[in-house]
Amino acid sequence: MDLLWQTAVNASYAASYMALIAVGLVMIFGVMGVINFAHGELYMVGAYCVVFLYAQESFPFLLAVAAGLVFVGMVGLVMERTMFRPLRDNPLAGLIASIGFLLILQTLAVFGFGRRMGHVPPSTQGKLEILGAVLTYQRLFVIVAAVLLLAALWTFLRRSKFGRALRACAQDAEAASLQGISMNQTARIAMFIGAALAGVAGALTAPLVSPTPYIGHSIIVTAFIIIIVGGVGSLEGAVIAAVLYAFVHTFVTTFFDGVIANIVGLALMLAVLVVRPTGLFGAKERA
Amino acid sequence: MPEPTGATPGPGTGRRIRRIAWQLRVVFLFAALAVLPYLLSYSQQEIAVLLVINVLLVSSYRLLTLTGEWSLGHVVIMGVGAYASALLTKRLGVPVPLSMLLGASMAAATAAILSFPLFRMKGFYFLIGSFAAGEIIRLIWKRFTDPFGGPKGLKRIDPFPDIDTGFLSIDFYEPVNYYFLALIVVSASLFVLYRIERSRIGLTFHAIHWQDRLAESVGVDTFRYRTLAFVIASFFAGIAGGLYAHYVGAVNPTRFSVDQMVYVLVWAIVGGTATFYGPILGVVVLTVINEIVLRALGLDTARPLIYGAILILSVLYLPNGLESLGPRLRTRWQRWRSGSAAGRREAA
Amino acid sequence: MAALAQRFGRGPQGSRVNPQNERPILEARGLTRRFGGLVAVNDFSFSVRAGAIHGLIGPNGAGKTTTFNVISGFYAPTAGQVFFRGLDISGRKTSALAAMGLVRTFQGSTLFQEFSVLDNVRVGRHLGARAGFFRRLLGADRRSEEKADAQAQETLAFFGLEDLADEPVSNLPHGHQRMLGLAVALAAEPEVLLLDEPFTGMNPEETGRMMTLVQGIRDRGVTVMLVEHDMRAVMNLCDVITVMNFGALLVEGPPEVVRNDPAVIEAYLGSATADGAGDAA
Ligand SMILES: Nc1ncnc2c1ncn2[C@@H]1O[C@H](COP(=O)(O)OP(=O)(O)O)[C@@H](O)[C@H]1O
Ligand SMILES: [Mg+2]
Repeated sequence: MDLLWQTAVNASYAASYMALIAVGLVMIFGVMGVINFAHGELYMVGAYCVVFLYAQESFPFLLAVAAGLVFVGMVGLVMERTMFRPLRDNPLAGLIASIGFLLILQTLAVFGFGRRMGHVPPSTQGKLEILGAVLTYQRLFVIVAAVLLLAALWTFLRRSKFGRALRACAQDAEAASLQGISMNQTARIAMFIGAALAGVAGALTAPLVSPTPYIGHSIIVTAFIIIIVGGVGSLEGAVIAAVLYAFVHTFVTTFFDGVIANIVGLALMLAVLVVRPTGLFGAKERA
Repeated sequence: MPEPTGATPGPGTGRRIRRIAWQLRVVFLFAALAVLPYLLSYSQQEIAVLLVINVLLVSSYRLLTLTGEWSLGHVVIMGVGAYASALLTKRLGVPVPLSMLLGASMAAATAAILSFPLFRMKGFYFLIGSFAAGEIIRLIWKRFTDPFGGPKGLKRIDPFPDIDTGFLSIDFYEPVNYYFLALIVVSASLFVLYRIERSRIGLTFHAIHWQDRLAESVGVDTFRYRTLAFVIASFFAGIAGGLYAHYVGAVNPTRFSVDQMVYVLVWAIVGGTATFYGPILGVVVLTVINEIVLRALGLDTARPLIYGAILILSVLYLPNGLESLGPRLRTRWQRWRSGSAAGRREAA
Repeated sequence: MAALAQRFGRGPQGSRVNPQNERPILEARGLTRRFGGLVAVNDFSFSVRAGAIHGLIGPNGAGKTTTFNVISGFYAPTAGQVFFRGLDISGRKTSALAAMGLVRTFQGSTLFQEFSVLDNVRVGRHLGARAGFFRRLLGADRRSEEKADAQAQETLAFFGLEDLADEPVSNLPHGHQRMLGLAVALAAEPEVLLLDEPFTGMNPEETGRMMTLVQGIRDRGVTVMLVEHDMRAVMNLCDVITVMNFGALLVEGPPEVVRNDPAVIEAYLGSATADGAGDAA
């Protein structure tokens, strides 16, 4: 019983950062129509921002996280301008280009920080006990930050003009541009937010995961599973699927092992693709 | 431009001349390939062996792309051939050339089974689905130490048996000799792949790519043909895997990871997939750049970065691959020649 | 109108197939297809006699293309059945139906745009040029392929496209592309051919040629079911016309009856696109 409860608490932590990553990926897909294979590397870059600013240069943790968010968002802008915009009507080419970008980011990280794990000391030491389960402040911080960021994003998308434009572009780019919505402007914002979410996830979790230049691989696999299960293009679906997947994965890891958990996750994704290619929470049927 | 059909026969003599020219070219090519290893250093010979194997890998990949589907699992399928062949020799004592064939059949069978879930998807979903399926297979190798050897994989895989018949003795531990073995196997495989593409089967693959609904409506069972392409491509990827396993002597899950798949993608895209020779051009050119230029410059760590940059640049600026460069240069050259001829005429 | 009928040899009356105890070659019973909340085809029934040219008309969005998509196996019916030669074929695969002799064409120029004209028709000959994998590999399919090519040439000649055999399709004018679409379908040797708006975007001269061709196809023994907005063509060609509106049957009968039916006039006036050219999906 104790173990179950503790595992559930651990899963909530996993769900929070996975949701950030997956929502970012869906956001990019929704507006640009391209699957960003380099998304895991954006997470990695965010983590290395903390390695550099916080662990090496001793800036405050929060500042390093904020810098990670902004910096990775700007990397997203570079991707938008140099690759996704010129390749807008060719999603496969965009995807392939993002694979190229992934290799570049990986190599740059190796140049800057070496191949080995970066060590990031915890920013806080304390921990919380909830009904017998332990939750470190470090993890609690990730959960709180993720909830706040996603809530802010949600409000932004509901309330602002950009939010409406974003949704319009995601639904029908052509119709949106007829309504005078600037595709380029919307794409830039989407790309910034999408990348920044991956970056901030990496920055927040850096003290917990010991980043390597190759960490992006497991991240992108996770993110794919989540967005497929959630229905590509559905932000709410991504959040629900992130929670679902985090629980499945954490429980299987705890009671079997990590590799089995990965196999289960991938099998889940394949099953969803076969039975309901639009995802469990995606649109019912496509025109 | 794709050239899906058999060349339309031209008038008699012109056709014969063209055929002779073509045959001459093939003879030259093989002569060059036969001389090549003797011009290389030992380590370059080793690279040449891997290059020949990779030519088969990327050419088999192209067969699948003919139907319009891009898989991210092709390298894993190659791994299935490698693991199967290695295990057959290690565990069951199957002799090596036979084990390679059986391993390739295993790769083909894996593809046949995977077709059922995967070909319910198309395009992007197929890409992701094939990625998931490949990762599952790879994780199974990683997780189950018995029989797959876990993360460390399989080592000391039986080499290709030496041939020793008194007056002729060939030791396949020597890269030169393995090079010729691989060259023969790969050439034969490429010939088969070429025949398939030039037959009605190839026409049907192309038809499915361009308009699967129309193809289906005139009776093409698109599912069956997609499966067929996948199975054939996987069989030859499995052959490549067998050649690899018994040459290097070790396989492990990391060797068949998505990173390796990225290289196959890069070769195919940089070379171009519209023609049979495009991907071959891609793998040869990039390997030469990689092994000769980068190694000479001491840029080994930068290799992924440079590959990444090449990938992006070619998608952006050479979307039809290196194969499109030849015809483009030719027309430009002709235009330039006729232009300058006109200029000369004017001057005269 | 009468002049047109004369020009094309037989008027609609002359070619009417004897309706007595003919089992319908194609029949739909209570066919329904939903898309989410939208009922595109609603409890729709009709039957097509062998040897007929059967029209299916109705305002834009009435559900004609969806009906074709269900009959030809692209969509499974939500409810109801389709019978072909008395066999329940609902939900079967499109390629299997083509092998049974039920072939459809598409709205618009759906062709293998990157192929030559001849190669398009060669793909159309798919079913007639069967050979095993290893025969193909060894080139032992040469004889059957040569035959298939000859047949493809013949089909092209029937449509007057033989001189364009080696042209890339993308070089063809629209009217020729539509004819090629028909040629590809005919190369599959159908028993029943479903034509979705074959005359759309054609000039009067092309329409006239196309009408002769459709009649020629019927004279080869192929039953034709035809969706079309060009009323003149429909009225001249068809033996029977089924009118649908909002996914359901409105009226069925010979052209002269349908033409004067107040419900039909009402439906078309209501939608104000009696011969609307652009028709999505
Ligand atoms: N795949 C689909 N998904 C959702 N709605 C569809 C689909 N296909 C057709 N429809 C809808 O069904 C109705 C009938 O369309 P259609 O059969 O194309 O009409 P017609 O061919 O008679 O003009 C239309 O309202 C159309 O929007
Ligand atoms: Mg229609």
